[in-house]
Amino acid sequence: MSDPDVIVVGGGPAGSCAAIVAARAGLSVVLLERGPFPGSKNMYGGVVYPRILDDLIPNWWEEAPIQRWVTRRATMLLTETQALTVDFRTEAWGKAPYNGATAYRPDFDAWLAGYAEAAGAQVLTSTTVTGLLRDDKGAVVGVTTDRPDGDLRARVVIACDGVNSFLAKEAGLYEHTDAKHFTLGVKETLALPKEVIDERFGVRGREGVDIEIVGCTGGINGGGFVYTNLDTVAVGVVLKLTKLAAQATRPEQIIANLKGHPAIAPLIEGGEMKEYSAHLIPEAGLRMMPKMTTDGMMVAGDAAALCLAAGIWLEGVNFAMASGMYAGETAVEAVRVNDVSAKGLVGYQRRLSNTFVLKDHRKLRRAPELVLSDRVQHLYPQMMANIAERMFRVDNPEPKPGLRRILRQERKRAGVRRRHLWRDAFTGFRSYG
Amino acid sequence: MSNRIVVCLKWVLQAGEPDDARFAGVSPADHAALELALQWAERTGGQLTAITVGPPQAETALRDAIACGASNAVRIDAPLSTNSADVAAAIASAAHDAKWVWCGDYSMDNGSGSVPAFLAAALSASQALGVTNVTFDDSGITATRRVDGGRREVLAVHAPVVISVEGATARLRRASLTALRASTTAPVDVVVPIVAMRTSQHTIQPYRPRARALAMPSGANVLDRVRSLTTTGTAVATHHEVETLAPAAAAARIVDALRDWGYL
Amino acid sequence: MTAMNFMETMETAEFRVHPDAHIVVDGSVCTDCTTRECVVACPANLFVPTADGGVLFNYEQCFECGTCYLVCTQAGAITWNYPAGGHGVVFHRT
Repeated sequence: MSDPDVIVVGGGPAGSCAAIVAARAGLSVVLLERGPFPGSKNMYGGVVYPRILDDLIPNWWEEAPIQRWVTRRATMLLTETQALTVDFRTEAWGKAPYNGATAYRPDFDAWLAGYAEAAGAQVLTSTTVTGLLRDDKGAVVGVTTDRPDGDLRARVVIACDGVNSFLAKEAGLYEHTDAKHFTLGVKETLALPKEVIDERFGVRGREGVDIEIVGCTGGINGGGFVYTNLDTVAVGVVLKLTKLAAQATRPEQIIANLKGHPAIAPLIEGGEMKEYSAHLIPEAGLRMMPKMTTDGMMVAGDAAALCLAAGIWLEGVNFAMASGMYAGETAVEAVRVNDVSAKGLVGYQRRLSNTFVLKDHRKLRRAPELVLSDRVQHLYPQMMANIAERMFRVDNPEPKPGLRRILRQERKRAGVRRRHLWRDAFTGFRSYG
Repeated sequence: MSNRIVVCLKWVLQAGEPDDARFAGVSPADHAALELALQWAERTGGQLTAITVGPPQAETALRDAIACGASNAVRIDAPLSTNSADVAAAIASAAHDAKWVWCGDYSMDNGSGSVPAFLAAALSASQALGVTNVTFDDSGITATRRVDGGRREVLAVHAPVVISVEGATARLRRASLTALRASTTAPVDVVVPIVAMRTSQHTIQPYRPRARALAMPSGANVLDRVRSLTTTGTAVATHHEVETLAPAAAAARIVDALRDWGYL
Repeated sequence: MTAMNFMETMETAEFRVHPDAHIVVDGSVCTDCTTRECVVACPANLFVPTADGGVLFNYEQCFECGTCYLVCTQAGAITWNYPAGGHGVVFHRT
């Protein structure tokens, strides 16, 4: 068989979108997936925001294998005994064109890969890419796989090989890899009858809930999440690798502690463990991003560290789909003008820069660090929860204290310095404002 | 004489995911059968046909076989729950001229291991079932199979034959990338059986001997009746007769006696 | 909630185990390691310290996440690859 125009490595959201775009434009595309089917190696923190698919798959919401539409979004600060929740719900997110959805990645990714196949891409599963083929000038001209007779050449390689991206590393696109840029996500999927989930989370039909949690990971910087699928509830934690490695509590114990918290335990009581899973997250945003192109190759999705971990926004699949689409468009352009060098692929960086993909990351470049900072992680949740407790406590016959006094006292009690609070508020305002 | 070689592959849904083709697959025993069939085809210069009985999704098992080197593939369109005799009959009619038929010894779901035996009968072929080791030489195939008491039976196998092998007899080769790419568009012949296929519903349970039927105890009072039931105080009843009979009559006599004594 | 030990927890995930290990740990390097980051961080708990000061590793229930090679501080202790295509972890409801 003849060599394809484009090789896409990895059948996740980035790879499938790249393959859809390139194949629909008439290029011959081979998509290589190391799992037995696309999505079989993939796991995440639960919510996908698929609006980026509007052009690629019109009315995607009628077909996408989603579990529930997120109509209730909560952010929760936990201490050992307290919980302070900001809980938002809207009917608008429960109807087209929707906002966020919970979905199982083995379902969602396999569904998306089906579109790549329908567009004419050849999807080859159970095939692990082991390295790059390069010409004598160092340009990428193909990949090696773990199959006999397994070299495959193409004009362009789009590496969507996930968070560990050995291809981007082999191509020299990452200056270095540092454990401090990663978090580990671990998750339990717990089965409960749909009616029980509906009742406990106050939703009905296809409505769903996503709760993001700070202050539930002990001494380890990170966060937690609880979200609803149709008949399962997922509960998990995200842990900063370097902190996890430097202490003694294992990940499953940290989940167990979260599950035992008085604010969480009633939500998941009686849930039967269906699946335990783990995956790395490229958490550091702009600080860790590689060069996006080299001669003959582009990087997209988690492989390019395109994951937004900014506390109130936790997104990845949408960044993967968008970057995959833009890489696909760029490949089409480059093959047409017959220049697949880094110069010919420059449109990829331009597309990323001019869209939310890099705009969001630039705007929020300080957010990941702020969210994982010791103060946000360990001091502020306690302070905020204590303030709330004082505000809502009726101390008769004591008269009510003024709010300013509560704030000052609780700030001191939590050991938060005023100038740190101001500095973090300023950083937060610059990032999110 | 035709030298047609056939491998039978069963595409099985995963327990716990009964509706999901993504998690389906083929047993290690079927993979071993495919590998041995490929080796035999290479050695004899024969053509290998891969056959499955199942729905359209089951063609993935056939395409994988083509990627590994099978020449062509046939899917017999019938439910996965088709009973063993009908599966064997359908395969036999699709491969009536097959000389060497390779199967895994058990599938991963029902696992009764009966299709290879039915198939041998339907093809009027000899059978080597539950084979643990296969060697090829110039005179043909030598198969080793397990028999009771940890013994082994060594068979010199001659065509036409059905050979069912255990999973450890061979490790399936990995398809080359080129062959894998070609297999995605390879044609699969679909055969629709003429007769309706019967499905099998029974579940397999461990063997239990039948309980011995006892007559109502006799005796004037409770104590006597309990004694007669438990044979306390009397010699244990034994049965023995010595007779010389022709085999058929002897068998009939044994059955009669067992019935008299309440064992049947 | 039904109490579950971690071995049962791991059994809820599907692993299509390849006969060859995709990750190899050189236990002789680990004897010099005092911090043992892998032992606490591996989400599948596959790194087990041995009595003679080494580290025992079992690749069979590996999530292929990459945590171990990232946290490891001993050069050459972990040789990390993905398993052969079609093998390793297969997620269902993640």
